[in-house]
Amino acid sequence: MAQTSRETAVGRRAVLGALGAGALAGLTGCVGGIGSGTPQVTFLQSKPEAISYFGDLLDTFRAEHPGDLDLVHSTNVTTLSAGFARSNPPDLGCQNYNLEMARFQERGALSNLSDVAERANIAPAVQDLVDQYPTYPGRTSVIPYSMMGAAVLYNREIFAEHDLEVPTTYSEFLEVCDTLQEAGVTPLYSTLRDPWTIAQGLVDYSVGGSIDVADFFSRLRGLGPDAGPDAEVSFSRNFREPLEKMLTIASYSQPGAASRGYGDGNLAFATGEAAMYFQGPWALAEIEKTNPDAPVGVFPLPMTEDPADRRVRVNLDLALWIPEQASAPEPASELLEFLIRPEIADPYNKALNGFGVRADAPPTADPRLKDIQGYIDDARFYQGVSTAIPKTIPYENYFQAIVLGQNLESTLRTLDEDWARRARR
Amino acid sequence: MTTTVEKPRTGSVPSGAARTGPARARRRPRGDRTHLLFLLPAVALFTLCITLPAAVGIFYSFTDSIGFGEFDFVGLNNYQVLFSDPGILHAYGFTLGFSLCTVLVVNVVALALALGLTSAIRARTALRTIFVVPMVVSQIIIAYVFQFVFTNPLPALAQTLGIGPLEQSILVNPDLAWISIVLVTAWQAIPQAMLIYTAGLLTVPKDLYEASSIDGATPRRQLTTITLPLISGFVLINMIVGFKDFLGAYDIIVGLTDGGPGTATRSITMAIFSGFQNGDYAYQMANATIFFLITLTIALVQLRLTRGKARV
Repeated sequence: MAQTSRETAVGRRAVLGALGAGALAGLTGCVGGIGSGTPQVTFLQSKPEAISYFGDLLDTFRAEHPGDLDLVHSTNVTTLSAGFARSNPPDLGCQNYNLEMARFQERGALSNLSDVAERANIAPAVQDLVDQYPTYPGRTSVIPYSMMGAAVLYNREIFAEHDLEVPTTYSEFLEVCDTLQEAGVTPLYSTLRDPWTIAQGLVDYSVGGSIDVADFFSRLRGLGPDAGPDAEVSFSRNFREPLEKMLTIASYSQPGAASRGYGDGNLAFATGEAAMYFQGPWALAEIEKTNPDAPVGVFPLPMTEDPADRRVRVNLDLALWIPEQASAPEPASELLEFLIRPEIADPYNKALNGFGVRADAPPTADPRLKDIQGYIDDARFYQGVSTAIPKTIPYENYFQAIVLGQNLESTLRTLDEDWARRARR
Repeated sequence: MTTTVEKPRTGSVPSGAARTGPARARRRPRGDRTHLLFLLPAVALFTLCITLPAAVGIFYSFTDSIGFGEFDFVGLNNYQVLFSDPGILHAYGFTLGFSLCTVLVVNVVALALALGLTSAIRARTALRTIFVVPMVVSQIIIAYVFQFVFTNPLPALAQTLGIGPLEQSILVNPDLAWISIVLVTAWQAIPQAMLIYTAGLLTVPKDLYEASSIDGATPRRQLTTITLPLISGFVLINMIVGFKDFLGAYDIIVGLTDGGPGTATRSITMAIFSGFQNGDYAYQMANATIFFLITLTIALVQLRLTRGKARV
């Protein structure tokens, strides 16, 4: 009896000792970053198609930091808000930068990276894109990483068959559509079932080619609670004409477009069912899956009679940020510095069809995207309408309703009223 | 024998005293503490996982929080804006209308099926199993399958049959899309209601039917004067529980129309969820609070109504 009890006592002491040692190891791990307890660094990136690419990059980084790093690669962006709410955000974010992301920076949830920004050599026009959304005063909250350029995708073979040139004005564009239609070719493939494709394609291209989107939203935000359908800047006032033109363009879509989605569109365009397709470069990889030799070209949608007005739609496909609440900010910033090295960033953009964001970034290697390189170089680009309206307003659905035949004027009025209501609270 | 034993009991003591007597005696038996212990885990979990988060949510509905970071108190502002927001009001209108329609469709069909499946027909058990299948399939999968059906085969069928209005998918028709949601939701919800009705029908004593048929009652007469009154408690439960469930419609709508076309089929829960996902936390918490009060009212009505009736 006595022996067994002593044994259990020893056992208990041993367990406690082991626990204590573990706790100590954990503590030193937190403080020193060296030893058995290594800090866990969560790297969040939002591109499912780049998982293996970033996986390899992280392996390279691990090799540079042997043994002192527990690096977790996450692509779960749906719990991002929840992560911030629970004070448990990722340590380094590498994510699409848009208005949704900007709200994290606006509320001061992202740390100041101004020292990194000085070394990162970001092209000024690209940095301007960051500042088109609400920022946190006195901070550089995000470092742009990769930019996507989007414009009308067209089938070069179909254009050549009908002796068509890339249109440079709005009326030329309509002529191209008419010629194709008379020849029995569907000019445009639309995927109206998926509201986001309408917002990012038809709407963004039409409005972005017609008005200065950044200026419009900065003035609209400046109105604050005075915004509304009858204000000096409003969706009703400024979007009406571009969207009327958009409806004309949309009328060249294939029959039954209302019940087709993104997947249908990639498939149909890859097999030459239509001459044009309003999608971004992310669709190129999908099109290649069906038809690796699809003869795709890219041109910006002309919306005026002046060829100089043509612009391409860009978005900061990836931007880097470190939350204020990051549990391992130091390894996170080391990883950030690693990722923005030109010899790491440039091959990434080459592999994923992105445009570089540094002032000295090399041009794209993709033959299709070369068509719009000039616009990127001259900063003739805009960020789309679809990334400037808060998602709490169901604007993508409104745009879908407009294309499906709902009254344009009243829908824009609803959009204005939603915007004003949001500004009032 | 039994009647002679029972009679003096109820006869000798006034019924009120008979009821309160044992209840008073039961108030402090020693078993009570044990019963409380049994309740404790459930109460603790409920408080921790439901009550506290709900309280926190209600608290935030008086702020301008986006779910994290800095925030200010804005009083009742969110509520004031809420009641003048046509988008939100439309979501309420749609959800209520959809729930009412669905609850009617579900109960009529489920009762019919239950009547059929409790009558003397062949392969009763096999049929019951088949009809219960939709209940065990995930809603989102059902929704995607039906989305395909509504988008491709149905319009093609309508085209070959020459039914003009149905040649375009009803999912993209703002005036008809809701019908597809009612149909699919009903298809999924019918089995559960049917099971409850089946259970209810089995409680109706067979001898009542025998007696009434000797008196010359038609099957129809039997249904309206015997079956329906006797299972009215089950009808009530099915109606209220179903209605409450349909008010929270989410998965099937997301899979079928995603709230579209336009905003024609956007439900309350979709609006609330978008608030958390898209940084409108406080505002949609106000919405959630209102929604909570509505469902609470329904639950109280249900409690009150079923207190007497559901004891079949």
